[in-house]
Amino acid sequence: MGNPMKNSCYMGIDVGSISTNCVVITPEGGVLSEIYRRGDGHPIESVQKCLSQLTAQLSDEYCVKGVCTTGSGRVLAGAVVGTDVIKNEISAHARATIHLYPDVRTIFEIGGQDSKVTIVRDGVVVDFSMNLLCAAGTGSFLDSQARRLNITIEELSTRAMTSEDPTDIAGRCTVFAESDMIHKQQGGHEQKDIMMGLCHALVRNYLSNVCNGKEIKPPIVLQGGVSANKGICRAFKEALQCDIVVPPYNMVMGAYGAALIASKSGIEKTKYRGKEASTHIIITKGFECGDCPNCCEIIEVLDADEVIGRTGGRCGKWEGRTEPREALKGTGPIGTVFGTSAGGLTEYDTCRLLDNVPDLIQIGVSKKRRS
Amino acid sequence: MTYMAIPNIGNYTIALATAVESLGIKAWASTATTPEALKLGIEAAPESVCLPLKAHLGHFIEADKAGVEYAFMINSVGTCRLRYYRHMIDQILKDLGLKIKIFGLGFDGFKPPIVRHFNPGPITFIKPLFHSVLKIKVIDELEVAAWRTRPIEITPGETTRIMNKLLVELSESKTMAQTRSLRKKVAGSFADIPVDKEKQPLKVGLVGEISFLRDKCLNKNIEYILGSQGIELKNFFLLGEELENITRIIFLNQSRRKSLSRIADRYLQNSVGGHALDSVANSIHCADEGYDGMIHLCPSGCMPEVSVRPILKRVSKDMDIPILEMSYDEHTCAVGISTRLEAFADVLMERRKNGSVAFRREKARRG
Repeated sequence: MGNPMKNSCYMGIDVGSISTNCVVITPEGGVLSEIYRRGDGHPIESVQKCLSQLTAQLSDEYCVKGVCTTGSGRVLAGAVVGTDVIKNEISAHARATIHLYPDVRTIFEIGGQDSKVTIVRDGVVVDFSMNLLCAAGTGSFLDSQARRLNITIEELSTRAMTSEDPTDIAGRCTVFAESDMIHKQQGGHEQKDIMMGLCHALVRNYLSNVCNGKEIKPPIVLQGGVSANKGICRAFKEALQCDIVVPPYNMVMGAYGAALIASKSGIEKTKYRGKEASTHIIITKGFECGDCPNCCEIIEVLDADEVIGRTGGRCGKWEGRTEPREALKGTGPIGTVFGTSAGGLTEYDTCRLLDNVPDLIQIGVSKKRRS
Repeated sequence: MTYMAIPNIGNYTIALATAVESLGIKAWASTATTPEALKLGIEAAPESVCLPLKAHLGHFIEADKAGVEYAFMINSVGTCRLRYYRHMIDQILKDLGLKIKIFGLGFDGFKPPIVRHFNPGPITFIKPLFHSVLKIKVIDELEVAAWRTRPIEITPGETTRIMNKLLVELSESKTMAQTRSLRKKVAGSFADIPVDKEKQPLKVGLVGEISFLRDKCLNKNIEYILGSQGIELKNFFLLGEELENITRIIFLNQSRRKSLSRIADRYLQNSVGGHALDSVANSIHCADEGYDGMIHLCPSGCMPEVSVRPILKRVSKDMDIPILEMSYDEHTCAVGISTRLEAFADVLMERRKNGSVAFRREKARRG
């Protein structure tokens, strides 16, 4: 590592809800290697497998000069890999798309659990929106429907494309969509028509919920895991009456964007842990902070006995810190609790030590009951 | 000693607790809903009501379990469902078979029922009330100072630490003299925090439902998240201002509502209830003032705030100010919120780099 003779490269890791993606690029933005890996509920293992696959693919002449993690598991992955930058996935996706298509005006991104729309004007993100309280119309739903019909998601995509007369499916809610599909299937509708109807329902739901009130203008780029589904692309084209661009790295755009961000952030010395990150056994251990009644569950990421990162907690006291637990306990914005109280129901404690500053002041609340 | 549970309205709970002493009893309160209380509330409340009700309900159930006999609930006279919330909470608590007795703020005759019930002497009654008003003013000053300092502090978390320290001292202050001397200390303590003076933080206004604006358990500590990302805030719920408004209504017959509805007149002519009018008027006001963006906090199912969401979208378009809609309930995870806030900060930063209208306006104003 760190050999000046080697060519430099940058790595982006996107830990999403159902997939873990990894992209390595040259400083100019050319993709050296890309990995899309469906996660199996073990984000740490997935990241490690991704990394070992990468090291196998990447020739020895490259050396990683910077790492950026993104996606919902960005903090955890960052601790495992040793990241330089942690970025949200909305910005990462937009960065990648604007890099590939400078004149893009709308970005649709549909992933496993999230669907987002990003509005870009003159190469700058001006607005975005993300599904709020409902996951209808995301990849997970298509997945579960494919599983129910005992076909792969790729098959679902190709079958939907052959449909000429799509069935009308209620797409307001995934549960009702499923019962409607079963109803249609028992009524004798062809499977390919139901599949295409499902794609239409999903797109309709996406356009009315996520894109509600947004100015959708072409050129439109569609990315995220669901963009691999040709039926969805077709449904979008029919609904919006314009062309939809699916970029070449559509499945790993988040990771690509993260890599671009890493290459542009002027990292002098990377914190990347190199081979260690993929070969060592990394475990996590939870404990309750207990410094205040919030009782946050803190997760420690451990490489053997060494703490390489922490997640969880609301006050920012633990996040990303690697100092010993005792050194952090009772410090930071939150310390022990309990404000004024004198005499009372059972046993009261008065906070006198002002260095242990509570985040949550309780008045008249018994301490005994809490601990 | 008799105890009374009071609702959580963030740091202002400290001042309210002092006010409760005017009745000759002690307050049972916390400055944010505890996760435990929230869990109890979610179990007991109907699924479709908004999160603030669940939080208050949970708080009262917890109080009852701790042996508290009385509770106090604000009931506004607006068109929001909050008007019925005292009765709803009362009914739910009765159905659960709990003994706790809830008072509202209603007047019937000269004395409110709550005062009649405890019947305090005039001196015990007046003094803590003045003290609590003073405390409210101090908390207002603390909040404003914290919004300014947090985005430019050099050691992360320092502002929060100082603020919490002062809040603890405030909650322990027993006399007006103590509180006054504490008030003098506020400006100095915040001035001592090492800051990066060169930094020009993004300015964002926070509007929406008041429990969400104030309770850091409900809003997932949004003030801290934004501040630590280098965003200067203005939270449009300051109890001091609200009190001033009420005094004006009573003595001068001048409501702030009138000036707000003048600002919002183009978009909203009817009363929607809650703080919906404030949300619209303040968004317009902030756009004129050169704020970089607005964040609208809205509990899912909150009638007034949900009804102004389309209006805010229109304001955002007309006045060229980005408004982030945050609608959440107890199922929302913290990661989703921080993702949105981070992305929003990125958008605002990009806008500023490209010389957005707001930034140009602001610069012209500063000279």
